[in-house]
Amino acid sequence: MTNAVQRIGCWLLGLTSCATGFAQTFTDGLPQDTLKTRLGSGSVDKVTQDRMNKGLVTNPLEALNGQAAGVNVTTGGSNPMAMLNSVRVRGTTSLTGGNDPLVIIDGVSSDLATLSSIYPADIESFNILKNAAETAQYGSRGASGVIEVTTKKGSGSQFHISYDGNIGMQHTYKNIEMLNAAQYIRTAQQLGTDYNNGGYDTDFPQSITRTGWVQNHHVAFSGGTDDSNYRASIGFMDNRTVIRNNAYQNFVAKLDLSQKAFDDRMTIDMGVFGSSQTNKDIFDEWKLFYSAASQNPTFGTAPNASGGWDKNSTASQINPPQALLREKNDTKYLNFNTHLRLQLRLTDDLRLTGFGSYSYSSQENAQFCPTWVWAQGQAARGEQKSEDWLGNVSLDYGHTWGDHRIDVLLFGEYQKRRNTGFWTLVKGFTSNEFTYHNLGAGSIRPYGGTGSSYEDPSLGSVMGSVSYALMDRYKLTVSTRADGSSMVGDNHTWGIFPSVSAEWNAKAESFLKDISWLSQLQVRTGYGRSGNLGGISSYNSLKLLQQNGVVSVFGSPAVTMGVTRNDNPDLKWETRSTFNVGTDWGFFHNRLLLTAEYYYSKTTDMLYLYDVPVPPFPYDKLLANLGSMSNSGLEVGVSFTPIRKKQMELNINVNLSWQKNKLISLSGDYNGTQMTAADITNIGSLNGAGFHGGNNNIVYQIVGQPLGVFYLPHCTGLTRNEDGSYRYEIADLNGDGTVSIDDEGDRYIAGQATPKMTLGSNIGFRYKNIDISLQMNGAFGHKIYNGTSLTYMNMSSFPDYNVMKGAPERNIKDQTATDYWLESGDYLNFDYLTVGWNVPLRRSKYISSLRLSCSVNNLGTLTGYSGLTPMINSYVVNSTLGIDDKRSYPVYRSYSIGFSIQF
Amino acid sequence: MKKYILFLIALTALTACLDEHPKGQLTEEEAYGTGTTLYFNTISTLYNYIGGYEESQGLQGTYRGVYDYNTFTTDEAMLPTRGGDWYDGGFWQGLYLHRWTAADLPLYATWTYLYKVVGLCNHSLALLEQYGSLLTARELQVCRAEVRSLRALYYYYLMDLFGNVPLCTADMEATEQVVQSGRSAVFRFVVNELEEAIPFLYPQESQREGYYYGKITLPVAYFLMAKLALNTEVYSDDNWTDGQRPDGKNIFFEVDGQRLNAWETTVAYCQKLADFGYRLEEDYTANFAIGNENSNENIFTIPMDKTLYTNWFRNLFRSRHYNHGAALGMDAENGTSATLSTVRTFGYGTPDIDRRYGYNFYSDTVLVDGNKVYLDNGEALVYRPLEVRLDLTGSRYEKTAGARMSKYEIDRTAYNDGWLQSNDIVLFRYGDALLMAAEAKVRNGQDGSYELNLIRSRAGMPDREATLDTLLDERLMELMWEGWRRQDLIRFGRFTAAYDERPQLPNEASGYTTVFPIPSKVLDLNKNLHQNPGYE
Repeated sequence: MTNAVQRIGCWLLGLTSCATGFAQTFTDGLPQDTLKTRLGSGSVDKVTQDRMNKGLVTNPLEALNGQAAGVNVTTGGSNPMAMLNSVRVRGTTSLTGGNDPLVIIDGVSSDLATLSSIYPADIESFNILKNAAETAQYGSRGASGVIEVTTKKGSGSQFHISYDGNIGMQHTYKNIEMLNAAQYIRTAQQLGTDYNNGGYDTDFPQSITRTGWVQNHHVAFSGGTDDSNYRASIGFMDNRTVIRNNAYQNFVAKLDLSQKAFDDRMTIDMGVFGSSQTNKDIFDEWKLFYSAASQNPTFGTAPNASGGWDKNSTASQINPPQALLREKNDTKYLNFNTHLRLQLRLTDDLRLTGFGSYSYSSQENAQFCPTWVWAQGQAARGEQKSEDWLGNVSLDYGHTWGDHRIDVLLFGEYQKRRNTGFWTLVKGFTSNEFTYHNLGAGSIRPYGGTGSSYEDPSLGSVMGSVSYALMDRYKLTVSTRADGSSMVGDNHTWGIFPSVSAEWNAKAESFLKDISWLSQLQVRTGYGRSGNLGGISSYNSLKLLQQNGVVSVFGSPAVTMGVTRNDNPDLKWETRSTFNVGTDWGFFHNRLLLTAEYYYSKTTDMLYLYDVPVPPFPYDKLLANLGSMSNSGLEVGVSFTPIRKKQMELNINVNLSWQKNKLISLSGDYNGTQMTAADITNIGSLNGAGFHGGNNNIVYQIVGQPLGVFYLPHCTGLTRNEDGSYRYEIADLNGDGTVSIDDEGDRYIAGQATPKMTLGSNIGFRYKNIDISLQMNGAFGHKIYNGTSLTYMNMSSFPDYNVMKGAPERNIKDQTATDYWLESGDYLNFDYLTVGWNVPLRRSKYISSLRLSCSVNNLGTLTGYSGLTPMINSYVVNSTLGIDDKRSYPVYRSYSIGFSIQF
Repeated sequence: MKKYILFLIALTALTACLDEHPKGQLTEEEAYGTGTTLYFNTISTLYNYIGGYEESQGLQGTYRGVYDYNTFTTDEAMLPTRGGDWYDGGFWQGLYLHRWTAADLPLYATWTYLYKVVGLCNHSLALLEQYGSLLTARELQVCRAEVRSLRALYYYYLMDLFGNVPLCTADMEATEQVVQSGRSAVFRFVVNELEEAIPFLYPQESQREGYYYGKITLPVAYFLMAKLALNTEVYSDDNWTDGQRPDGKNIFFEVDGQRLNAWETTVAYCQKLADFGYRLEEDYTANFAIGNENSNENIFTIPMDKTLYTNWFRNLFRSRHYNHGAALGMDAENGTSATLSTVRTFGYGTPDIDRRYGYNFYSDTVLVDGNKVYLDNGEALVYRPLEVRLDLTGSRYEKTAGARMSKYEIDRTAYNDGWLQSNDIVLFRYGDALLMAAEAKVRNGQDGSYELNLIRSRAGMPDREATLDTLLDERLMELMWEGWRRQDLIRFGRFTAAYDERPQLPNEASGYTTVFPIPSKVLDLNKNLHQNPGYE
């Protein structure tokens, strides 16, 4: 088997069959290598560097996109940073939070934000844990899947130094097309309406863009002796995006040391990682893009005589885009992490490992809104700091007697976190020069604008597991983890998360051994429970008083404390039970590999802010554990190697995943009280001029349906008004003789916002030293609400707000949200095409490898969707799910060249 | 086995380390540790909710709450649709046309706001019992009286808006014990609560800065009693769709040991206010000036101070044109306008125009600092009171039709586009009490012209004879923008009639729209409750 095929085999078959090939790695303090060999009956999907995305990668999550079945990374309307909060492993399992997968970086529990600060080239591999048996090992935090990240360490004793980097350009190739000045004026004149003519002709959507630039540089060196080694690296990433004033920068440094002692009975590993990231974000993306599109095109971009911008007097929802670009939203992220692992081999069978880590992260945010946008201006500074102490001890034992092997693991962990924060906001600026650098220049410090916070959650865990293997063919593993959290109610501190899994290596059976065309056959299954506390934050279960305002008491203003929410002392763990069964097949010396996995999971005791009756409750929501939700799906991987020759190789990999989510129940008996949440709850609606309040609701959460369905009035067509314009004709769906578009009126379920099927595909071709890689990602079976077109096609807001090309001809004077603008969201996106050349080095003494490559990212999209891009948020359940509402980034393509050299 | 023992030992050891130590929030023991903090955190804390800084919160100054449901549902004012602005899914038009439904979220938000304050009052009363030993017996009685009066105020709004509402008086009753009461029972409860509290309330003015600023004091309760008595016929009527009302002459209250009918009771409580020292300010506008805490006429206000407090007053911001706001250095939303019938009642366009028109409205050519305000096309901004229509989209005066709200002095130093101003928001004032007394006298077959003409002469207008018609008109002109119109129209039997552009709804003559529907979410969550007649 060639390396390439072995790689694919690993991908498809999970780590089990390949684990021996890798250096010992540890995750979350668990001696993962031993666990894998024992608990390996799941499908640990390992994405190694070969499989990570090529092309222009500015973020580790980008490297992962499309590479693992069931893992969806949202690109959020092309905003490069939107993916931070948008990774879903096998869909959404909770209504209130904790849907981000748990991220474990070299054994330290972390989050997506920290992961995004790592330099992609420092990452050795991602392990995606999806199945019951693996996620249950992470107990209370594993419910939404786990991404284990292993970073590169030193290996061997030889000295190496390497550089890799790339430089790229980003170019907008598709932007929204509104009326230009001449068309605007002609339309207004034809309609006979008053309009303002500023005398310019400005394409505002283009005016806020620029050519984007990306550069990434990374230097790493490593070396050592037989007993010890080290690796050190420094990286720098710089991205000026296609939107003016929107930029990201990141510095990272990393050092790992390893030492063996006492005849290799003891191993010490130490690692230090630090990063400093600066984000210059858009203060309000929606407002900027909406303003750029709707601004009167006869206005100019230059400031007025006094050096500022006048507010729009007729279009109150938007501001001059150039003034909005003067807003600031800058964040500095600092991460520091260090960990130490001590491992003692007590006997050949028994191993004791101790692990400790300390992490510090801070996020310093500074915002500024000039007086041209916000009357009196506004500036704010704030800092959130988090310190995390983690310690664990594990004892593992493994022994083989003939055909029998048994492994036992005992594990205990304690984690303490301290989150603190403060912020200050001032208003009343007379100058826009200071931005956020002189808060003293603001005259107003409003109540609530200054504050600080403190939280100290802790988590304790113990775990035990036993695994038994017979003849390397049959494997059975049972494990139990108990997690105790300080955040749940006192009578529910501990959550117990058991799992069981089994695996059968059928190919090893005598009746299959001799079938030559069948090279692999494995069957595995598992059941396990994991927990989720993402919906709870510190002190939620305690009855506490918070300041609720300032009033005059005894003649002077005083801050009073009050009850600001309904308290629930019975808060407990949300639980997810998962069952999975999978099989791996290899044919013709593994030139064709097939893998399939089915899973079903059910979330119970689901945390949600349930509606409670007012009265007797003072507040209308109560955070409680009640409802349930299911997720099921099928993941299929195909890897095909039609050509495998010395000079030439062709690999085709496709992963497909079908996901189905269902909200089963949101009501029931809670501690003797019947409690419920509305069967139909709006979660996303449209915004903008004329949209406030009223019936602009689009996406709903409906019991019995997948999370995030479009529940809309049905438009039967356009009807001509008396004045010659058109409106959306709405059907009387419930046949009561009147048309009502309330939540309870004439609406129907018109589709779902999350894709039913997603696809990731990579085609790799190599001819001698030249290789080509093409990545395609797609999503199918979902819909998108084109709120952008609904808004920009509405002539009743003209001429205050500019409209799209084509709007005057259609002459629709209506922006009632109906299914008229609901479109299929199916797409296939060509993520990148990379051509690389591994320069042959015949006689070089020092250079061990040299590679040149060039890439085009985001080549194009095949879709029937009429809006800017179908790649909006189709995965994360929040107010933007499935709704294209004037917030999409202009679509851009990146061209880059890469260079890497190793000595 | 060994494994389990280890497991249990580890669990026990770890549990001890799993406590949290909140530092930024208080436990109940810390919050109610002394008599002073008990007062702060059980009583003063409740006053945070009189005003509001979120939608549907507060009695006035925010959007889509008590004030809007009492104002834009009437012939007083409207929020016309102006092209892309103010359509908002038909919400505002629906208010004007009485096409609200039980599913309207702002209605539910208004319900939960009012009951939140009731629930917090019940909680405070329970805490006063629990920690009562920190106070003297007399202090405890005074504290209880204050909270009970505040709760009575909120039940008054609930009963006024929603008719048959559940009466909860204990802290966190079980849901199945929450059952609906008839409107008359809630009315009686409110009256009894106030009557029992009155002997213990501070005999102090509430509108003045100082010790009692913004609090429920004795005169506030007097004013509320007068309001309740004046609307007795409406509030005592549990069948408001049968076309019949009880007669206020046959409903009796006891005031200072005397048995008085509803009208006499109204007059008696208004007299108590006069005896207390309240009088008409010579200058109508002084009640709404930046320094209106010195008014001798205002009785109950939402204290406002642009630097100290957080409550909003967005009513001016919502009304004025964008360029009008810009000239003042503030933003604006170009919305609220007086209706046609309102400007006609004021006599707009006639030589007899009421003097208060100028106090209450920006109309015709607008001047800021003596200068005209210009539109972007170079023309001067001219508000056109007679061009107002419910849907102005596409009309010539789409953005400029309608007389706009004035009334409150513009605080040029206000923050947040004027939402944070220093003029206190007037909820109750003595001018209203005089008109109440005049009306009660007329309804009791007596002459109310004296009180009516006190109001008219202060406004510089000639005397009128007090009749129900002249009184209703006078209430519109005197109390414009003060949130009383819905209650007045209902009491005068005019709320369900057609006016201006509003046609009467089918079956509306029954009077079913005089209360709002119980929000459907409330009914979903408590099966004991049933919908008000006409909305089933």
